Amino acid sequence: MQDRPDAPELLDAVAEYLFAELRPEVPREQRFKVLVAANLCAVVARELRAGEQPDREDLALFVGLLGEEVDDVREAAGRLAARLRSGELDDRIEELAPRLAEHVGRQLDVARPGYADGDG
Amino acid sequence: MEAATDPSLVAGVRAVIAEHEADPGELGLTSIPGGASRETWLADAGGRRWVLRRDPPDSESLVPIAHEFELVARAAEAGIPVAEPIAREPAGGRFGTAGMLMAYVAGTSVAPRILRKDEFAEARENLPAQLAAALAGIHALTTADVDGVLPAAAGDPALEQVAEWERQLDEIGEPLPAVELGLRWLRRHAPDPAPIRLVHGDFRLGNFIVDESGLAAVIDWELAHLGDPAEDIGWLCIRSWRFGNDDRPVAGVGDLDRFIAAYEAAGGDAPDRDRIRYWEAFGNMKWAVICARQAHDHRSGVRSSHELASLGRRICEPEWDMLELIEAS
Repeated sequence: MQDRPDAPELLDAVAEYLFAELRPEVPREQRFKVLVAANLCAVVARELRAGEQPDREDLALFVGLLGEEVDDVREAAGRLAARLRSGELDDRIEELAPRLAEHVGRQLDVARPGYADGDG
Repeated sequence: MEAATDPSLVAGVRAVIAEHEADPGELGLTSIPGGASRETWLADAGGRRWVLRRDPPDSESLVPIAHEFELVARAAEAGIPVAEPIAREPAGGRFGTAGMLMAYVAGTSVAPRILRKDEFAEARENLPAQLAAALAGIHALTTADVDGVLPAAAGDPALEQVAEWERQLDEIGEPLPAVELGLRWLRRHAPDPAPIRLVHGDFRLGNFIVDESGLAAVIDWELAHLGDPAEDIGWLCIRSWRFGNDDRPVAGVGDLDRFIAAYEAAGGDAPDRDRIRYWEAFGNMKWAVICARQAHDHRSGVRSSHELASLGRRICEPEWDMLELIEAS
């Protein structure tokens, strides 16, 4: 057990410092780099808070679409990518598009909340 | 901005300027951030300025710099606003790596500044029609106009481009099911081949130098190729290049109807909306692959940077927009 603040709370603190305190202090051409650093802290904080649930949901989705058992989510994504490339799923593109949007939506929840609703 | 630490580069740039214009005297060289695959340096001699674009050490770019130099020269001849090319040097020449020297164009290419600052209010009004005119000028150039600079299009321009970005994705080896689905959809929905014209390939906010009255120069020609002119319009309109102004599809400053009207008024042959939407879906796929590629460059140690790393987590943005376009079609 680590003492608190926990990891996402520490990242929140770093992000806030970078964004609110450091960014206005650096030369203008460096500010974008500081903003990117602050955003990355916020992304990692959200990823930690989300835990393993998004990966579990992605794995279930990919396994369902593949129709074969795979344990690792990256491995499953790779197999699905290869099956798509081969053209054997061409007849299912319209059906698969909204299913893959579920996966991409989970990525956006961590990387850019609100983007899928037209914000940001 | 970082000052040049390599005295031979400073001396080399000074010598090239002396050869083509006059000895500028003491020269300062500072790197300008932002160029994704080429280095950009600002040369300053007591207020007189030039811009150097060169390959990074140990890295060669997609389009050889000699080709970019010649292409920009031909675009300038055709009356398209560009940064006038002055001189080029091969790898191992006076710029170290392969590079080109250009005239300095006053203004900014930084998208959020152009979209938000008061000083660019008039520029924002003028930009849609100016961009339409510049693009119509680019698309007036045919295969014959860029003979010897760009390879002729080998087949169907859409399928050629899809194959090109499949190749780019394969070099990274990243599993991206949504992009793969997009590639298949793009193969199956390729429009009838359009008349082949010069395509800038990266015509978007960020690659326009803008001053207070609007477009001053179209820069970054390294993705130029021969193809379907609608490709440039679709790319210009993808959500990523609206930088938050989502209700203004044309570079975050204009609506598509007025843009198309200005494009036609400038002599462009306006593509239909389905074709533009096809290329907007393509553009999102392409931006997703570019993001993956840049993140890969960071992970593989080619160019270590938290900015490149961050793009790995932005792949999902154009993927989302691409899937929405596919679902709506």
